[in-house]
Amino acid sequence: MVDLSVSLAGLPLANPILSASGTFGHGLEMEGFVPPQALGAWVSKTVTLKPRPGNPMPRIAETRAGFLNSIGLENRGVDAYIEETLPRLAERGARVITNVGGEEVDDFARVTERLTERPEIDAFEVNLSCPNVSGGRLPFSTDPEVAERVLRAVKGVTDKPVLAKLSPNVTRIGEIAQGAEAGGADGLTAVNTVLGLGVDWRTRRPLLNTVVGGYSGSAIHPIALRCAWECLQATGLPVVGCGGIGGPEEALAFLCLGCHAVQVGTASFSDPSLLAGLAARVGALLEELGVETLEEYRGSFQVPQPAPLAARS
Amino acid sequence: MAAPPPDARSLESELVSLRPVGSDAIVLRLRLPGSVPLLRAGRFFMLRRPDRLSPPIPRPFSLYRQEGSELEFLIKVIGPGTRALAATPPGQPLTVIGPLGRGWPTLDDASPWVAVAGGIGSAPFYEGIRQSLAGMDGAAPVSPRSWTLIYGGREEGMLYDLECFEELGVRVLPATDDGSRGFHGNAIDCLRAEWGAGRLPLRPRLLGCGPEPMMIALAALARDQDLECHLSLETYMGCGVGICNGCAVPTTPEGPLGAWPVAKCCTDGPVFPADAIRLEP
Ligand SMILES: Cc1cc2nc3c(=O)[nH]c(=O)nc-3n(C[C@H](O)[C@H](O)[C@H](O)COP(=O)(O)OP(=O)(O)OC[C@H]3O[C@@H](n4cnc5c(N)ncnc54)[C@H](O)[C@@H]3O)c2cc1C
Ligand SMILES: Cc1cc2nc3c(=O)[nH]c(=O)nc-3n(C[C@H](O)[C@H](O)[C@H](O)COP(=O)(O)O)c2cc1C
Ligand code: FES
Repeated sequence: MVDLSVSLAGLPLANPILSASGTFGHGLEMEGFVPPQALGAWVSKTVTLKPRPGNPMPRIAETRAGFLNSIGLENRGVDAYIEETLPRLAERGARVITNVGGEEVDDFARVTERLTERPEIDAFEVNLSCPNVSGGRLPFSTDPEVAERVLRAVKGVTDKPVLAKLSPNVTRIGEIAQGAEAGGADGLTAVNTVLGLGVDWRTRRPLLNTVVGGYSGSAIHPIALRCAWECLQATGLPVVGCGGIGGPEEALAFLCLGCHAVQVGTASFSDPSLLAGLAARVGALLEELGVETLEEYRGSFQVPQPAPLAARS
Repeated sequence: MAAPPPDARSLESELVSLRPVGSDAIVLRLRLPGSVPLLRAGRFFMLRRPDRLSPPIPRPFSLYRQEGSELEFLIKVIGPGTRALAATPPGQPLTVIGPLGRGWPTLDDASPWVAVAGGIGSAPFYEGIRQSLAGMDGAAPVSPRSWTLIYGGREEGMLYDLECFEELGVRVLPATDDGSRGFHGNAIDCLRAEWGAGRLPLRPRLLGCGPEPMMIALAALARDQDLECHLSLETYMGCGVGICNGCAVPTTPEGPLGAWPVAKCCTDGPVFPADAIRLEP
């Protein structure tokens, strides 16, 4: 059997398969489909300081190659997360990464501060795609300095590993990655959803109530790979690849680039038990390659060296 | 914390048969592996073909009829998901996620039931009436005389499997918009007319499943007459198991789900007390 264990920003994981925030519940709601130990870590839906009711319907729409959403970060806030979700996570043997969000730089730190002492939580992931209310509602993920400030604020209140989750909706994601690194991030998650829009030509209405929303699923896999690749090149931080994974092949593509782990989102909507067997399927494919440890395979991506064209006479 | 039901699984089933019904629907019969306990009427399953012919997101369908480990679904063929299911050859595998949702309340004999179905909205009523007549949750079997099913459709071809409902032995009142069968008008008009004529119990409990305007009218009628009413909603769903947050149904602040502004149709429903939710935008 291939050794799939990996150390992510100092956090030992049994395997590199993680759930993606907002697509697998807050805690272990899905344990009827996926045993707690089957995942390297369970990533919570974004937790915010105050409860958020989310956006009006319609909030989701399937398109030919992907999935549009504008959930609006519906969640019951950090107090409910502490009272209702965390106690159920105790002693379940699952690694937990809590994803935190906010409307102001300070919000991220305040949520993290409330949670950092909780033994059920192993690490944090900062959702930089949240709109920054003091910054014209542009997401925190669009400016390296703002990303740096958020990470510095969060790192100031916790000793646990902190991942910065980046948005693909920028010109140079490497610069945002460097901002997060300067702020003290221990790792990066690349990426959140790609901005998209769907039109019902018959009713002449947008598919989502918010008109523009987040696009995910198979269609964004190459975009996510490119983003992860730029993050790996721009910083020395471990990167968690996320976007368009539907099976072991796409997970391996991220790992081949050098990612330490991967997250799976939309594909769980097609099959809520997909994640139960995904690590084993990754292992089986590595075995076919004759690889014995994930560590040996990780980052083995071969970039072609541009050879000079032969001169013509 | 809205978790999927503890008995829900993601399973591979086998398509047993497809039977065309009415002008645009099928009854899809599949076999689940192993033995299957009696599933509560009003619960639903997400279905899709495991090959690339189905869209990636499975589609929700109410349990229409159960015979042991064989389940039937009454499906109106309208788009890519239902077309792919309708084109599946018998013997082929189908991915099935379920059973999901909470289903109907105990359909006991405390007072009579009037079920109002609009078109394909009849699907959850077959098993509901059957289980009620057999006695649900330890309650005594309900007499067929305590049941009325008002079955509305645009035309006769949209009163899917009408004979099967009639065979249950309960009073079935067909209604068609074009008058091709039964009452000339929609299901709500039929309900009002029957009630006005004194041919319905004075204080029935109402059940509804159908298009949104019908549900809005039924909920309004229940509110005006102060009648108990449960509605099975067909909200657009992204996962069916509570993880996408796409199936939000606004709740009434004073109702039983009022602690949070929205409920999840998939895990809190799909059946809701009419006074717990807001149907109008
Ligand atoms: C709990 C539940 C139980 C259901 N039970 C049944 C059933 O027993 N039999 C049955 O035939 N159908 C049932 N439905 C509806 C069924 O799921 C949809 O008709 C199906 O998803 C359509 O898929 P499609 O790909 O064929 O069409 P799509 O292309 O997805 O839809 C075609 C058109 O219908 C609209 N539409 C799609 N889904 C819905 C919806 N849920 N509500 C309103 N409009 C929609 C779309 O906007 C589009 O205009 C149920 C839905 C729910 C939520
Ligand atoms: C319905 C839905 C809700 C999401 N909610 C969140 C969220 O709350 N926080 C977050 O950081 N990302 C959220 N995401 C983004 C995913 O975590 C993931 O980054 C993205 O969907 C790309 O991965 P995928 O293609 O595997 O789905 C959400 C995605 C979807 C589809
Ligand atoms: S359909 Fe996904 S949460 Fe209800």
